[in-house]
Amino acid sequence: MPPKHYRAPGKKKEGNAAKYITRTKATKYLQVSLNTFRKLCILKGIFPRVPKKKFEGNHKTYYSMKDITFLAHEPLLEKLRQKRAHEKKVKKAKARKNKELAERLLNRMPTYKLDRLILERYPTFVDALRDLDDCLTMVHLFASLPAVEGERIQVKRIHNCRRLSQEWQAFISRTHSLRKTFISVKGIYYQAEVQGQKITWLTPHALQQVLTDDVDFNIMLTFLEFYETLLGFVNFKLYNSINVKYPPILDPRLEALAAELYALFRYVATGSTRKPAENQSISSTEEKKDSDEKMDTCVNESDLQLAQLQHQLPSNEPGALMQLLEDSNNDDDDVDQDTIECKTLFKNLKFFLSREVPREALLFIIPAFGGVVSWEGEGTPFEETDEDIAYQIVDRPTQGHKFLSRHYVQPQWVFDCVNARIILPADAYMVGMVPPPHLSPFVDDEAEGYMPEYAEAIKQLQATAKKNVMPLPDLDNQDLADPQNLIADGVMDRTQANEAAEERQKLQLLEKQYHDELKMEMSGITYSATLSNKKSENSGSEEMQHKDEVVVPVSTEKNDEDDRAKLYMSRKKRGLYEAIEISNQRKKDKVALLKERKRKALASKSG
Amino acid sequence: MGKEKYEESSSDEEVNSSSDVVEASSDEEVESSSDEVEASSDDVESSEDESSSDNEKVEESDSSEDEVAPRNTVGDIPLVEWHKDEEHIGYDIKGRKIMKQPRKDKLASFIEGADDPKNWRKIYDEYNDEEIELTKDEIKIIQRVISGRTPHAEVNPYEDYVDWFEYEDKGHPLSNAPEPKRRFIPSKWEQKRVANLVRKIRAGLIKVSDQHKEEEHNVYSLWTDDTDSVENKKHGGYVPAPKPKLPGHEEAYNPPVEYIPTAEEINSYELMYEEDRPKFIPRRYLNYRSVPAYDKGVKESFDRCLDQYLCPRTRKKRINIDPESLKPKLPSRKDLRPYPTTCYLEYRGHMGPVNCISVDPSGQWLASGSTDGTARVWEIETGRCLKIWEVGEVARQICWNPSPDRPILAVVLEYDVLLLNSGMGDIDIQTKMKELLHISEPGATEDAGDSKSAVTWIQHEKHDGIRMKHFKAVLSIEWHFKGDYFTTVVPSGDSKAILLHQLSKKHSETPFRKLGIPVTAVFHPSKKKFFVATKKFVHVYDLSKVEKIQKLETGVREISSISIHPGGENIIVGSKEGKMCWFDLELSTRPYKTLKVHSKDITRVTFHRTYPLFASASDDCTAYVFHSTVYSDLNQNPLIVPLEILRGHKPEHGRGVLDCKYHPRQPWLFTAGADSIIKLYCH
Repeated sequence: MPPKHYRAPGKKKEGNAAKYITRTKATKYLQVSLNTFRKLCILKGIFPRVPKKKFEGNHKTYYSMKDITFLAHEPLLEKLRQKRAHEKKVKKAKARKNKELAERLLNRMPTYKLDRLILERYPTFVDALRDLDDCLTMVHLFASLPAVEGERIQVKRIHNCRRLSQEWQAFISRTHSLRKTFISVKGIYYQAEVQGQKITWLTPHALQQVLTDDVDFNIMLTFLEFYETLLGFVNFKLYNSINVKYPPILDPRLEALAAELYALFRYVATGSTRKPAENQSISSTEEKKDSDEKMDTCVNESDLQLAQLQHQLPSNEPGALMQLLEDSNNDDDDVDQDTIECKTLFKNLKFFLSREVPREALLFIIPAFGGVVSWEGEGTPFEETDEDIAYQIVDRPTQGHKFLSRHYVQPQWVFDCVNARIILPADAYMVGMVPPPHLSPFVDDEAEGYMPEYAEAIKQLQATAKKNVMPLPDLDNQDLADPQNLIADGVMDRTQANEAAEERQKLQLLEKQYHDELKMEMSGITYSATLSNKKSENSGSEEMQHKDEVVVPVSTEKNDEDDRAKLYMSRKKRGLYEAIEISNQRKKDKVALLKERKRKALASKSG
Repeated sequence: MGKEKYEESSSDEEVNSSSDVVEASSDEEVESSSDEVEASSDDVESSEDESSSDNEKVEESDSSEDEVAPRNTVGDIPLVEWHKDEEHIGYDIKGRKIMKQPRKDKLASFIEGADDPKNWRKIYDEYNDEEIELTKDEIKIIQRVISGRTPHAEVNPYEDYVDWFEYEDKGHPLSNAPEPKRRFIPSKWEQKRVANLVRKIRAGLIKVSDQHKEEEHNVYSLWTDDTDSVENKKHGGYVPAPKPKLPGHEEAYNPPVEYIPTAEEINSYELMYEEDRPKFIPRRYLNYRSVPAYDKGVKESFDRCLDQYLCPRTRKKRINIDPESLKPKLPSRKDLRPYPTTCYLEYRGHMGPVNCISVDPSGQWLASGSTDGTARVWEIETGRCLKIWEVGEVARQICWNPSPDRPILAVVLEYDVLLLNSGMGDIDIQTKMKELLHISEPGATEDAGDSKSAVTWIQHEKHDGIRMKHFKAVLSIEWHFKGDYFTTVVPSGDSKAILLHQLSKKHSETPFRKLGIPVTAVFHPSKKKFFVATKKFVHVYDLSKVEKIQKLETGVREISSISIHPGGENIIVGSKEGKMCWFDLELSTRPYKTLKVHSKDITRVTFHRTYPLFASASDDCTAYVFHSTVYSDLNQNPLIVPLEILRGHKPEHGRGVLDCKYHPRQPWLFTAGADSIIKLYCH
């Protein structure tokens, strides 16, 4: 009797054994080391598969045979082999104390390009955008790592990451395509919409990052290598789409400014007489316009000249880059409703950032929603003393000198405004106060089954804001359920009229509540205190409801009906049904836990 | 001067000689000679000719020194040690002893030294045991040696080299060849080498380091027009990596209060398994400036990288369906009425679990057997107990004769089957029954071979009936629909496991051999077919030919009961794992439908004789009522609808409902429970 897996000589493998290959065998097949294989897989985007039958055991990793033959034909493989051979030469030279040769060889290390790989993995631009989440998160993470010589990461690459991330942010801000922001413990999440793709990324907080030892940086750097190239090409394409030359040429003077921010702050504080920054910026923007026009017209103008032209740019930080973009093209043809909404959120509002707030994040967000922003330091668009400043973002226990004409708000206010798409009342976010809870914009509260209190408050405010804005005649894509719209259109039946009346009453109530709140604010009652009061009022009724729920007996009739139906299901369907039930139950439990905690918190507060 | 030097040397000789002779005079002589030396050294005029003459003299002096051997001839021995106690210090060349000089008084010598201005020049020569006074020249030489110069001032160590051989005008030079031309033209080899390098650089084989540093920003428009890239080269189903989960409220730096776990909850996380423990514990910071750097940021990013290249990806269909839609559309129960729904009557009286019940074909009487050793007959409509037989053993099975003119009850005890006259019916029937149940010759059974030992028909005295004594334990009994034949199953009977009996002839036989272990056997309700259920299979026999027709594969572990649809083409089988199988004999030998109904053993399944109903009773204290329409059209599958779950019995020793039977004409169901109660469910 032949062995179990006997295959007659000359007969090909069949089935899973032919379609899949284990990792060890794949490395042998490709004649590469595991490290090189890993690198190839990362760059080519090849991942293990799950065969229907794991013919070599459960504990092994299987790759698709097609993937491996695909790798075998990769020119990069040859390049990596060359590189390895070259590294051996260098090592040999070093061992023979032939420093000169080693250095010369090091300079001539074979290099490879990844552009073809990118095109292969993302045949269309939209594909690339769709997969950009990880790329952006990684690049932003590395941009915030310490750029210290002798660390595990080259300083040059960190600077490159920083440049790429700022270029990306500049584009997003310029095109007003930022949609959601969220300060989490892990960092700040942003969500943008580019060409219909929702791209979410995470930037770490602007603090010293911790480099742990349990991380293999070789793997991360391989990923980063690909991501850097990808983001470079994506940025190029995006900048091209708004007619801006890429890569942007920046003013080296201001690059230095960022580092010496604190010194400059003191320098300004001592009352130096300087040319008003605003004029400077205006003049420079004009110059920029010129320069951009030139860029467009004479293509073969040397970069050097451009650099000279742009030398007078007021700043080089993201803000400056944005201005550059702002002026370059002002004609937006096809902008959707969302973009308009985002563009006009902070329109005609001036912001000023105190030195303690995270400047980069706010410099990115505020202009993305149409605001004008300045900060303490040299080369800023306007000074702190500017009368038109509407909001000053501060994050300190107390604010010493206050301008009466402006609100002093904590940074969270900006993020919450952006998520709610309305200007929220600044009273709850004042200096020294504990701000209201920060809510994630990525959660669908209704689907989750639990709505935090503040989310409801925001919803009410949104509703009032919507009513205040008169509907524009050309905006017919707003939802028709809105009764206000129907009034405007003159199409309306009786029931709808009633609804509208009810709505109005509700609105009045809300408004009244809003005014009351404002009054309370004036009299010095904090937001949280009012919340707790309101809750204590509500909690009574809620408990009643709770009791009602308990009282209603679970009818055996209903159960029987369920059982009866379950009897008749096939085993597969029954399993599925039970799984769904379990997950639903889990969700309910979660919500119940939240409610329970809320109740306890309130009890402890009032008691 | 030369003379003086000469004299000096000669005076040395004198000294030597004189010292040999007289000791006392030597001192003076030494002094005188030293004076002379002094005088000579005082001569400042040392000219060139002197030096030239000096050369000669040095040579001479060398030779003279060779001549003048040292006075002492003992050789290089430690004098102080060896001659410490001797009077002599050695021997002169002639072998005479050289006597030691008398030791001078230390004080005297010191005073002498202090007085003498030249004392610093004096050296004591231990070997010859004498004091020598150095001359000025000698001192100079010593000083020069100490300072590292040549001993003699006049010696120039760096003199110009004067060639020993004169080339010029000799007429015979060593080489007369002119300088070669190659010394004046650039090297051809070097030229070749340079040319080679140039060629390599031009070909790009050698890269000049300055060049490739410039090309950093080589980005270009990679995606030209999206229109032409329709053909997607991705092979083998590329699966993009799933996007990371978006953060919820709990990840905020300042989440709502209800999202923050209490201290107790955090403590309880510690008790959890590592995998179950929540990875992220929400925390609240009162303002943005107090948010610290996230220490796991790099690690999480790394984990994501690992996931991306190490995790196998498969496309999984995410089912987003309403669970209600999974439930099958069942016909409304209202349309399927009547069926038993509520408990209408309870028959109490048995002292132990009621094992079995049976309804008489007229629908008036109910017979029951219990573990308390009694069999009873009840009036159905009133619940009155009509008759009690004390059978003395556990009644396992009870069965009415299906023929209305034969009111006979068959009761299964351990080894016996009792055929009892129920006493129902008019006098004619009663007389007939008495005849029928009378065995003329007691103990006389069929003599035909095997069955002889298997069954013995005996008259039962006590209850006026027949006692059939089996050779092994009997499990079940079933009447043929005509009421003359019946079958008993003896599971451990091997080839005699299935017995067929004829009441009128009091005759038994075993037509079936080589079965497994049979569980139960049933007659077909209209045809000459016979069904035998073993543990896993149901065998269908043709009774007229006595051969197997079909073998039904139930797929259950152990069959407990079986029931035939009155039409005869459908069977239900109940199993001990709570599964019920519906077989359509026309359709296949595998179940048409398997229902997982009960959580415990099914004790009995039964069909209604007229209504489209069937029921199952189980040890989980429930009985299920089903609707089943069997269509005459062969293309249409039977319709099975679960209708009602009947509860009410209480568990006793892990057992629930032990038997269930339908009323022959009404849609009523009787259930016998382990709690010694029989219940009647009506519509």
